[in-house]
Amino acid sequence: MIIIGEKINGFVPRTGQAIEERDGEYIKEIAKAQAEAGAAYLDCCPATNEGALDIMEWMVGLIQEATDTPIALDSPSADILVESMKFVDRPGMINSISIAGDKVEKIFPLIAGTEWKVVAMLDDEDGIPSTAEGRINAFKRLLEKMDEYGVKPDQVFVDPLVETLGTNEESCTVFTQVCREVRELCPDIHITSGLSNISFGLPVRKAINMGFMVLAMNAGMDSAIIDPLNRDMMGIVYATDALVGNDEYCMEYLTAYREGIFGPKQD
Amino acid sequence: MSLFDDIRDAVIAGKRKEVGPMVQQGLDAGEDPQALLDALISAMDIIGERFSRGECFVPEMLISARSMVAGTEVLKPVLAAEGAEPAGFACIGTVKGDMHDIGKNLVRMMIEGKGVEVTDLGVDVAPEAFVKHVEEHPECKVVCLSALLTTTMVSMSDTVKAFEEAGLRDQVKIMVGGAPINQAFCDEIGADAYTEDAGAAAEKIVEFL
Repeated sequence: MIIIGEKINGFVPRTGQAIEERDGEYIKEIAKAQAEAGAAYLDCCPATNEGALDIMEWMVGLIQEATDTPIALDSPSADILVESMKFVDRPGMINSISIAGDKVEKIFPLIAGTEWKVVAMLDDEDGIPSTAEGRINAFKRLLEKMDEYGVKPDQVFVDPLVETLGTNEESCTVFTQVCREVRELCPDIHITSGLSNISFGLPVRKAINMGFMVLAMNAGMDSAIIDPLNRDMMGIVYATDALVGNDEYCMEYLTAYREGIFGPKQD
Repeated sequence: MSLFDDIRDAVIAGKRKEVGPMVQQGLDAGEDPQALLDALISAMDIIGERFSRGECFVPEMLISARSMVAGTEVLKPVLAAEGAEPAGFACIGTVKGDMHDIGKNLVRMMIEGKGVEVTDLGVDVAPEAFVKHVEEHPECKVVCLSALLTTTMVSMSDTVKAFEEAGLRDQVKIMVGGAPINQAFCDEIGADAYTEDAGAAAEKIVEFL
């Protein structure tokens, strides 16, 4: 399971405060903690319009001081993403693009033939397709673009997009159906998700989030944008990976346990 | 228990299929349509309060709102024939650049629950589109703006400015809401009210109409 650590994001209140106060020590601290907890990438999102590029450069610098973990540059603006690629000292991840607009045209030529990864959401010009079929159509268009620009499947993390269960009881079913069809069309591609949207408006969101994680992983999701310091969630992730047969001799489960990523806190 | 209590309780319980026939039964028995509407509205008031207190949740609010709509659908032609006016007119939309619609939809339903006629302008609504709606519908007295992202909050400010530039600012009250919004931001951009949740928004709009 490829974990993208979500904490360095201005939308997270504590991080937003650190950005506002230019508290670099806090950014470094959560970068290090997430890397040690098993994040393969660290998301980095300024969550602002004004000065987004400056904040990105500042945060990227801090993350690279604190860890060697590659960075997922996170912005709704393709131009900010392109400019931010210059700040990192190793290939990371672009979060995110979709086939709507000109993001593919701006990003794909820069990452083709490199080690860079990219998160591709399955929305289209009309927003998020409500049906699995609509999202698969968006995915097929994405595959054509990957082919055209020479972007390889293992560079791409498809985000099928999670709708809120509280207002749409089909949301998880649609998500898992998209996962299965994406896997069938392109076995080597990655599937990721921010997932916490699933539980909006419901009590004990953690229970919904964890249930969703199990079902999504069972349908082929192999990455998630989560807080790796959430020990309960990390336990579910490692357990599910073993249960679906992705973890020979349960070695990863056991290693993560010994490293104290989940289970009782070890001193 | 009276039929009015039964209707109220059915809406609260989200018995969508039962509410319409119950309202029809009331009409057939010669009850005042306005009183039947008030029963529906009182149910949504209770749901709004429970929601604010964290005692009921989004899906429950949703099914109650749909149950209420099932009742108002029955009443609409009767009320219209009597020349009854809605409690007021408002419009709502998620601001430019923002595609989130859940919060906006909940607020719309709760406002409709107050008997207000709401025009839903959808998501990613440009400042000019809000202005255009009010120009074309001068009866619209409240404009409700939703934003879920810190990056789209600025569109709220742009929308307030657009009303100022169009010379319509005094004609409408502008309400703002959404996860990153607070009272300080509302004051800063010169909007008229910030409310924390859908129930509170519905209470506020009644004050404005």
